[in-house]
Amino acid sequence: MEILHDDIVSLALPYRETLRVQRTSFVGGGGPRVAVIAGIHGDELEGLFVCHRLAAWLEQLAASHPHALRGRVDLVPAINPLGIDTLERFVPVFDADLNRNFPGDAEGLLPQRIAAGAMAALSGAALVIDIHASNIYLREIPQVRIAEDFAATLVPLAQGMNLDLIWLHGAVTVLEATIAHSLNSTGTPCLVVEMGVGMRITPAFTEQLLIGIVNVWRTLGVLAPDLELPPPTHTPLVADDSNVHYLNAATSGLFVPDIEHWMAVRREQTLGRIVSPLHGGTLAAVRSPVDGILFTLREYPAVYEGSLMARIMAV
Amino acid sequence: MTTPTLLEMTAPLRDDFAIPYHDLGPAGERPALALVAGLHGNELNGIFVLSRLAEFLARVADGREPAHALRGRVVIVPAVNVLGVNTRSRRWPFDKTDINRMFPGYDAGETTQRIANAVFQATRAARYRVDIHSSNLDFEELPQVRLYEPSEDEKASALLFGLPAVIERRTDQVFTSTLGHAWRGAGGESFVIQAGRAGDLQLPHCERLFRALMAFLHHTGLVTGIDLAAEDQDTHYFGVDRTLSLVSDHAGLFVTHVQVGTWLQAGALIGEVYDGFSGERRAEVRAPTAGLLSGIRRQPLLYEGDLIARLQTRTPTGSEKQVKGQEQ
Ligand SMILES: [Zn+2]
Repeated sequence: MEILHDDIVSLALPYRETLRVQRTSFVGGGGPRVAVIAGIHGDELEGLFVCHRLAAWLEQLAASHPHALRGRVDLVPAINPLGIDTLERFVPVFDADLNRNFPGDAEGLLPQRIAAGAMAALSGAALVIDIHASNIYLREIPQVRIAEDFAATLVPLAQGMNLDLIWLHGAVTVLEATIAHSLNSTGTPCLVVEMGVGMRITPAFTEQLLIGIVNVWRTLGVLAPDLELPPPTHTPLVADDSNVHYLNAATSGLFVPDIEHWMAVRREQTLGRIVSPLHGGTLAAVRSPVDGILFTLREYPAVYEGSLMARIMAV
Repeated sequence: MTTPTLLEMTAPLRDDFAIPYHDLGPAGERPALALVAGLHGNELNGIFVLSRLAEFLARVADGREPAHALRGRVVIVPAVNVLGVNTRSRRWPFDKTDINRMFPGYDAGETTQRIANAVFQATRAARYRVDIHSSNLDFEELPQVRLYEPSEDEKASALLFGLPAVIERRTDQVFTSTLGHAWRGAGGESFVIQAGRAGDLQLPHCERLFRALMAFLHHTGLVTGIDLAAEDQDTHYFGVDRTLSLVSDHAGLFVTHVQVGTWLQAGALIGEVYDGFSGERRAEVRAPTAGLLSGIRRQPLLYEGDLIARLQTRTPTGSEKQVKGQEQ
């Protein structure tokens, strides 16, 4: 096994420095190539830690089973390195959501150049896993999000990822500018993983996902079929637009949950309250509209009228 | 009389949040004209002009301008992103979403979806609708009408503003989530106007924009008695293949002396790029063809691929490429 480091994008900054999108590649035999990418939003760090854990796992594999890597693994932990370096979700200066600039343009603005470089580096892979960490407002249970158009190819892969949920969603035009849509619509399978919360890492979720990723890699032939792996521990539920319920804040204030994330809830059960720091009373009680399981829970307590507090899948 | 509001909401701790608007002319009628600015909180030219226009139309409506009469209902929203104006933010400051990516909106959704829905519902029925923007902090636009796959009526009406340029553009994925796009499905005619640069109040552009709105009110018969004696220069119509975007091949410091609205000869110097460490000149930027300078970069710090200028040409550019900014 060979371990290589290079840049998939390199661009001059206005004063002296260079923006580099760095890649680590683990190259074994001539089998399939797979990739894991993260940090497309600079405030989402869970995927960076997954890349670290995968690198550690692969380095260990190189020592213990040097021939078990039959294909190639590319890790691109920070597609938006300026965002990560400046603690910004978007591409700094351009105020642009990098994940709305795909497939990009090698002669366009900086976000589009990064996107074009990423597309060139990832196209043709047997599987790309794009790891997101929600945002600073919401905490997500480990899940895969799949556009219905690509369900036939992606759901079987997602089933093996050791996650809690697969969420199928309908077509949304603006999402056509995401990396996942751009890859899937040009024949490179890409799974979007959402887990945890912005600006934090959740090691338990990382270990859960790691098991899923290496098992899927073995199925794809990237790892030797006889390589022993920890077996998956989770079987996903399947949500879609018909069974997902959104709880938006009825008033502004501080949202204080009474429940834990990923809990079964009953219709009319109180999930939390919205309170004001100026008064002792409750401004609004938050109740579940259905029997179901709570898979999104607000992490950031301040809410505006309309802010999302929870998502529940009816079961 | 109390000020009408498009939307009222609680806010976590400051004052409650409301989007006030001006509702002028015959109440209860279908609006003849809806004017919106400040979807982006740092775009001040449109906010200033619409507030000044509302002041004038209120005097006309009250009979305090006897030479003029208001013949239809006009709805004016000087600023949609009220908290963004007060905190100098382009986006909605709380969750950092762009209100002009939330259309047509949803009345039970996220805060900015609710705002978008309120703006759309209050303006959709108007016969004519105008959404005014000011590019971004980096770029200055000549006051211009932007048309996106327009109808023949829209092409004709766009000339009534008398602005120096009417520029046709193709729609793209981002445009589909804007107010300008949501209006397209509602009948009537809609226009996006760009004027100047965000974060600044540029009086010459404001005056030009004010005259443009007065000319539109005059030509559509919505306000009588307007004297357009000081007629502006010709309006030029540029189709989708008449825009040339000049993009930088270099990073560095960009300096320029040119002004928007100038007709440039082929080969005219637009600006220069310097290395900010060594001080060496890296490049000269020249007009590849003759044209009207409809936009110029005002931010000196330059990345590879940044937009430096836009030229509107009299003949097809041969390049269909649209360089995306973040301007609306
Ligand atoms: Zn704008």
